[in-house]
Amino acid sequence: MNKKAILIILTALAVVLPFFTGAYVLSIFISIFVFLSLSLSWDMMLRTGQLSFGTAGFFGIGAYASALAVANLGLNPILSIILGGLFSAIIAFALGFVVLRLREIYFAITTLALTHVFSVIIRNLSDITGGASGTILPNAIFNGDPKLIYWAILLITFMVIGISEMFKRTKIRFAINSIRNDETTAKSSGIDVFKYLLLVFVITSAIQGVIGAFYAQQFAFVNPESTFSLNFLLLPIAMALVGGIYTTSGPIIGALILGLISEYLKLLIPYGHLVVYGVIIVLVVLFLPEGIFKSVKKLFASKDNVGSDINAQS
Amino acid sequence: MLEINNLDVSYDKIQVIWDLSLKISNNEAVGIFGPNGSGKSTLIKAIMGLVSAGSGEVIYNGESITDFETHNITKKGIALVPQRRELFPLMSVKENLRLGAAYIPKARKRIEENLQSIYQIFPILKEREKQLAGTMSGGQQRMLAVGRALMSNPKLLILDEPSIGLQPSLVTDLFKKLNEIKKQDVSVLLAEQNVRQGLKVIDRGYVLENGKIAFADNAEKLSNNEHIQKTYLGL
Repeated sequence: MNKKAILIILTALAVVLPFFTGAYVLSIFISIFVFLSLSLSWDMMLRTGQLSFGTAGFFGIGAYASALAVANLGLNPILSIILGGLFSAIIAFALGFVVLRLREIYFAITTLALTHVFSVIIRNLSDITGGASGTILPNAIFNGDPKLIYWAILLITFMVIGISEMFKRTKIRFAINSIRNDETTAKSSGIDVFKYLLLVFVITSAIQGVIGAFYAQQFAFVNPESTFSLNFLLLPIAMALVGGIYTTSGPIIGALILGLISEYLKLLIPYGHLVVYGVIIVLVVLFLPEGIFKSVKKLFASKDNVGSDINAQS
Repeated sequence: MLEINNLDVSYDKIQVIWDLSLKISNNEAVGIFGPNGSGKSTLIKAIMGLVSAGSGEVIYNGESITDFETHNITKKGIALVPQRRELFPLMSVKENLRLGAAYIPKARKRIEENLQSIYQIFPILKEREKQLAGTMSGGQQRMLAVGRALMSNPKLLILDEPSIGLQPSLVTDLFKKLNEIKKQDVSVLLAEQNVRQGLKVIDRGYVLENGKIAFADNAEKLSNNEHIQKTYLGL
């Protein structure tokens, strides 16, 4: 099997999908791509050894930046998505100087707290943000055309995948891996640990901001409750864990599998589908701790390329 | 080339290094000996900027590097072989070596050259080039760690207890290699508990006790010192 050919076919299928399906299927895939990108961005940060719980926070402020720019300043919705990313990146850059001094659970808890702080600030700036009831935009992006919305998120997702692959292939990979492995060694190999952490933190936060902005424009609505929902943190993490962390393929596979399963379960068992969904996640984490991607890959790996296989994971 | 003047280092309120001064000249191998908790590792961390000095200064080639960040100190030409956990176990031997030079602009230009000279010192690394670092034996991993540090083209190589966890014959092997490295225009700072083996490598040594220098002399005189014989060599 030629890996490249399969990738090209899958890409082509993803691009032409709107010609063969209706709004319902597209809406499922739009949602899957939203979570897929979040999941990848979370994994990219994890590759440096930092467990971030701030995904929902940067998603939320990106969403608000974009929605408010459109509602109050009349900015073009497409430009507002870029603005959402920029805004999250700037906030991440400023906060990075403080939070990136923290490690392990302290970093995780602080980023989680930040999410809450963002939502409290926005709730209380009711003059600008609409407070607890949120802000409603006059129009969804592309006037709600599902095809165009689908292609927009597909484009964003491709870019996120591209960035993730860049992280795996360029010089930055060594830096990221070595920081995760051992900071002392990284430093004494001449790696400016803080600089790389800040870079990754800003890039992943920008991605989360862009996705948040897209989400806000898709539904033409933001409110503190739903925009800063922990769903935008927990689902991406679950997807990365199920698919396999430290890879690009893992979160993609995890997002597709969990996204499709959750939709199917919703139809099958309207009440209680989340319980089954939860059980599936628990089972995968228990029995395939490396994630589906690596477990399947190992199954097919012949003996002589075991070495390169493990390398790919590092 | 390296001069430490009146260095004090504390962890919170506990002072570990007291008013310590030492000197390393060009092409000299200097030992720092002492029991557990005497401050050897802390001294090295202070040189590398991994802990900050309370007072005193570290001068490298006439420039104070006391407040430098670690990665910049490495770029200046000081390489550290940290105690344990010194490798990237899921990367191949060659990748580990390349990583040692990847982020040092000067060394990056000479990656292939440096690889060859390190393979000459440690032929086993050439043989195992493609193997994952984590799957090698303890002794080989330690050699790889030294090789990785050498990839940055250091003028000063600092080793923090390289003998730890190695069987005696491997320690002898490793220290023989250090003697070869010494010949390549590299100064060596060796922190060791294994005084007997360490004395075979160094030109001059300091004995650290409770964060202060108890003795300082050349290798020969240190090995004849009665206190050292009793305390560290078991004679």
